[in-house]
Amino acid sequence: MKPLALTPPSDPALEAAATWAIRHDRGLTATEQDEFFQWLAASATHRAAWAEARWSWDDLDRLAGLQTSLHAAADPDLLAPKKRRRAPVYRLVLPILAAAAVVMVGFILLTGRGALTQLVQDGVPGHLALIEQRTLPDGSTVELNRGAVIAEEFSEGSRRVRLLRGEAHFQVTHDPARPFIVEAAGVAVRAVGTAFNVRLETTTVEVLVTEGQVRVDDAVRGESLLAAAPAGEPPVLVAGQSARVDLAPAMVPQVATISAAQIEDQLAWKPRLLDFTNAPMPEIVTAFNRGNPVHLRLGDALLVDMRLSATFRSDNVEGFVRLMESDFDLRAEWRGDGEIVLRRAR
Amino acid sequence: MSPPESLPEDGSLTPNLSQWFAEEVQPHEPALRAWLRSRFPAIADTDDLVQEAYARLLRVRATGSVACARAFLFITTRNLALNQLRHLRYELPADLAETDTAGVLDESAAIPDTVARAEDLQVLIHAIQSLPDRCRQVLTLRKIYGFTQKETAARLGIAEHTVEAQGAIGLRKCIEYFRRLGYQPRP
Repeated sequence: MKPLALTPPSDPALEAAATWAIRHDRGLTATEQDEFFQWLAASATHRAAWAEARWSWDDLDRLAGLQTSLHAAADPDLLAPKKRRRAPVYRLVLPILAAAAVVMVGFILLTGRGALTQLVQDGVPGHLALIEQRTLPDGSTVELNRGAVIAEEFSEGSRRVRLLRGEAHFQVTHDPARPFIVEAAGVAVRAVGTAFNVRLETTTVEVLVTEGQVRVDDAVRGESLLAAAPAGEPPVLVAGQSARVDLAPAMVPQVATISAAQIEDQLAWKPRLLDFTNAPMPEIVTAFNRGNPVHLRLGDALLVDMRLSATFRSDNVEGFVRLMESDFDLRAEWRGDGEIVLRRAR
Repeated sequence: MSPPESLPEDGSLTPNLSQWFAEEVQPHEPALRAWLRSRFPAIADTDDLVQEAYARLLRVRATGSVACARAFLFITTRNLALNQLRHLRYELPADLAETDTAGVLDESAAIPDTVARAEDLQVLIHAIQSLPDRCRQVLTLRKIYGFTQKETAARLGIAEHTVEAQGAIGLRKCIEYFRRLGYQPRP
């Protein structure tokens, strides 16, 4: 691996190129015109820097008109950092440190680079946001899929969690004295010691049991929504079963037994540790793309043969991409459609 | 006017891009032409300018998001017009510091949230956001409001050469930021 440069050294070619790009914009004087051509002809580095500066200057025009209609008077502080002035309509990107994002990456530790910056949109889970893992007061754990929101209501006698939005997987600690109940849009999923997934959509609530068993009740009336078992035992949903409850007109669950492969598929959003040992890049990319809304693509045939050993959380695509850029001389192109194309830097 | 023939990638518009062009861009053409005629009477042939502005807009749109097509169009056309006047060695209009692109832009509808949140725009926004104050103000006025260097100097009450120097520093820092993110032109 090549040694790392921690801070980019000052780059005189880039400095000059930026100055020329600005001057070009306002129009060069005759003297400047000559000076510019001399500078440009002097080296290929100048020409590359000039192309980059020119492209960047033009690319910033994409922002033209941002919020203009809402601020008739031009506001030079439109993009001032929040502490002094809040951008009124759009929450803007905040860089946050996601030190926990990379669980362990040996070579990052060796080179002393632990924290990778992560971009998320404040308040709005961008599709790069990590899946949140939370431990509840009783030691149960919950994994919140991107965008999911829960509210906890724990008391002496019961453990209640409301799923307000999205999808979550619960791993419940055993406590027969305090039932664990997840409520989603009037559907109560009641567990003792078990693991299950609840997904709230606009018109349905879907419950998938991965361990043990749960009851699925009407949260208001307390009656089971499941058909009674033949032996008269209280109806339950067991591991490997899912119930899809339509919320309207009546709450009618459709119970299905699903295969291990289907369970795995449905829970593909849950972050796993991806542990690669001398793995080829295509395999790594496939592993990341499974269950992530952002898709990596190898845009360079040379990358197919590249091999890598590392451990990542499966939802930490961005950390992986940053590492590829900083330590492996790759360039990532972030396309608007959620695709990231990796290429070898030239 | 139809989309220009000289297109960036493969020379043809995707159905999405065509639809976008028809809905978001073409409706502004009459206003754009009227404005060009009133602001730059010295320019006889505005077709080339409009065509070139369209080509630029489509080029950036084909590779990412554009906050506001109308604003992009007016500002790009204005810059092209100024360039042409310089090449023709015309005296620039004396009241140019009052160029009314801002007034023109006010009519545009609010930019949809989804557009403002587009990942590539967020990269640009954050690049500007992370600049030192003066640089940030200069780039905001120049790029979001389409101010010229002169207009920016007047608005901020500083000398034009300061605007130029701060603009250059700002641009360099933005490029360094882009480099760190790997946000760079396609090969």
